[in-house]
Amino acid sequence: MSTPLQLEFRLSQAQRDRLAVFADLLISGGAGLPAATEVDVAGAWIDRALGARPDLVETVVGVLAEEGEPAEVLARLRAQEPERFDAFAFIVAGAYLIHPRVRKLLGYPGGAPEPSPAFPDEADAYLEDGILDVVIERGPTYRPTPQTA
Amino acid sequence: MKTNNDVADVLIIGAGASGGVAAKHLAEEGFKVVVLEQGDWINQSDLPGLRPEYELLGSKAWHPNPNIRGNDTDYPIDLSESVAQVGMFNGVGGSTILYASCWCRAKPSDFRVRTLDGVADDWPISYEELVPYYEAVERDLGVSGAAGNPAYPAGYNPPLPAHPINGVGRKMAEGLNKLGWHWWPGYNSIPSQAHRRQKQCDRLGICMYGCPHGIKSSADVALFPDALAHGAKLITRARVAEITLNEKGLANGAVYIQEGQQYFQPAKVVIVGANGIGTPRLLLMSKSNRFPDGLANSSGLVGKRFMTHPFGTSVGLYEDDLGDFLGPAGEAIESMQFYETDASRGFVRGSKWHIIPAAARPLGMINRWTKGEGTADEEFWGEQFTSRMKDSIGHMIEWMVMPDDLPEETNYVTLDPVLTDSDGLPAAKVRYVTGENTRRLVDFNLERSLEAHAAAGATKAWVTSRNNPSWHNMGTCKMGDDPATSVVNGYGQAHDVPNLYVIDGSLFVTATGVNPTATICALAKRTATYIAKNARNQEVGA
Ligand SMILES: Cc1cc2nc3c(=O)[nH]c(=O)nc-3n(C[C@H](O)[C@H](O)[C@H](O)COP(=O)(O)OP(=O)(O)OC[C@H]3O[C@@H](n4cnc5c(N)ncnc54)[C@H](O)[C@@H]3O)c2cc1C
Ligand code: SF4
Repeated sequence: MSTPLQLEFRLSQAQRDRLAVFADLLISGGAGLPAATEVDVAGAWIDRALGARPDLVETVVGVLAEEGEPAEVLARLRAQEPERFDAFAFIVAGAYLIHPRVRKLLGYPGGAPEPSPAFPDEADAYLEDGILDVVIERGPTYRPTPQTA
Repeated sequence: MKTNNDVADVLIIGAGASGGVAAKHLAEEGFKVVVLEQGDWINQSDLPGLRPEYELLGSKAWHPNPNIRGNDTDYPIDLSESVAQVGMFNGVGGSTILYASCWCRAKPSDFRVRTLDGVADDWPISYEELVPYYEAVERDLGVSGAAGNPAYPAGYNPPLPAHPINGVGRKMAEGLNKLGWHWWPGYNSIPSQAHRRQKQCDRLGICMYGCPHGIKSSADVALFPDALAHGAKLITRARVAEITLNEKGLANGAVYIQEGQQYFQPAKVVIVGANGIGTPRLLLMSKSNRFPDGLANSSGLVGKRFMTHPFGTSVGLYEDDLGDFLGPAGEAIESMQFYETDASRGFVRGSKWHIIPAAARPLGMINRWTKGEGTADEEFWGEQFTSRMKDSIGHMIEWMVMPDDLPEETNYVTLDPVLTDSDGLPAAKVRYVTGENTRRLVDFNLERSLEAHAAAGATKAWVTSRNNPSWHNMGTCKMGDDPATSVVNGYGQAHDVPNLYVIDGSLFVTATGVNPTATICALAKRTATYIAKNARNQEVGA
């Protein structure tokens, strides 16, 4: 797997602990998938996500610094500052969705996009029962112009 | 200012799709070609697609909107008066670095909208005249598709076979067949088999983040290597500030800025392929006593009639595992059931629909659910997040409904009075309001797309957006026969300056209901062929 993009900035342990609560509120787990903290979203994976979106460090740090219970903070942001809520939720979900275990559980073939070139007859296999024939049999559908007519 | 001593036979501004087509053709014909490009070559290993966090990188560093990307090789665009988000990529390959490679010829009726529908204007050329040039660029760009599509006149036979339509295409095709509606395997400028220098597509499915395997036919991969092999000179990080004129009013070269230093590149003929926004911006920046309102702008139409394709999207959820992780992305299938005008629908013109695999953008699921019509009010976060993702990934089909967009002079590109790029040149400003015809067209087609989802067996389907950014920029240097109502003629030659040519999406008279790059490339090929054939009679500036 590729080397994570480096981010000089580091969240403190206290920030990570608080982020873990926010992250589990956003991604509580279920349907066979883990909660955010079960895949260390507030640890290595938020670092990796922020490495790709360093511009969102400020959003994350800012939301973590909001006073109040995390559930109340999220509800307030959602109602009053939806763009900030969206940006925060986006980066948390981003950290979660790049985790190899999550990708696997969602059915992705690998931890990152992998080559899967088509077999020689694969394109034909989708059409070999004649599924396209009815379209062809209906005949031309383009609108004639003085040039085509 | 430093002057390059070598006078170019042809100077091409912009190393994107159209610049690549022209550079390849003219270099192969033996012309001394110089290309000026404001951006850099893109190193395939820098592209994000092989990293797990590719979608995060695509939401910032590789975003198609230059305001979000913010590279010093970009120019900002003031979008405060545009309801459409607008963008492009600036670098060798231009926007084809990020394009999805949906390869779509326009249809005969697109060139005759005034004759057939009584709106806008006819193009000065016909589909039939463009066919040989479509065919030529389809060979160069390794276009893959199935022959015999009844939505086009006979003879549309792409050089390479179509890619597999994959599970998503198959599922939807079955639904469309139930309705008796048109569909066809997708056309993509991505080789389905090894072609020229390119390998068979690896189906990574992340083509819109740039192809890290160098397989997608972006202009840097498919066109510029040939141009360079035939002696073309490509100067990168060279931002053109002005196209200059000699005393006879002929273009004699361009002033560009590289690392803060000004240079002059003399040329006999100048071709502009700087994108439907970059081209009017450059012409408007090239003011002179002869052209106080911008170069070649005696019609006043440079920058006017900006069109984009504010396309609609709908998604459906399916119980079957659609195996939707496979590229290309790229069209799996398309439908032209509602392409041609039916006035009883309350609008003219129509739309091509296509399916691009949705699973390659898992983070995109957030907006599909939280901004979707009917789903925005449903809870998405908390306990729902994982079940929503599980229901969506690999089980979703997304229709993209590309609307024709008609020109209006009140939609335009101009120079921003305040904002500048990193060299201090004025930024572009876009004003765009979606026209009533386009709005109705999108609404109608989205309704039909929900019927298609139902026929294909979706358990749930909804509209996700009626105004997606297409990144298609068109119409800002209209082509036409009359110098009073157009900027260039049918060959892209400026009515006011006979050795100045425009070859990009600026030329479009109407937007057509399909993605524009096939037509941009065919027009560029036609102009390059014309320049090569008529070189002896061409008035030259330097
Ligand atoms: C995300 C995305 C997806 C897309 N998907 C599709 C698709 O599936 N199918 C399709 O048909 N189209 C698609 N497009 C659109 C397609 O990429 C463009 O239509 C096509 O690339 C336009 O070609 P062009 O030559 O007009 O301009 P571009 O390819 O944009 O190239 C213009 C070049 O000019 C350079 N330039 C501009 N101004 C200056 C200056 N002053 N000095 C020097 N250089 C300058 C720019 O840096 C740029 O490299 C997509 C675009 C994007 C961004
Ligand atoms: S699907 Fe094919 S063309 Fe697209 S990125 Fe992957 S290998 Fe490249």
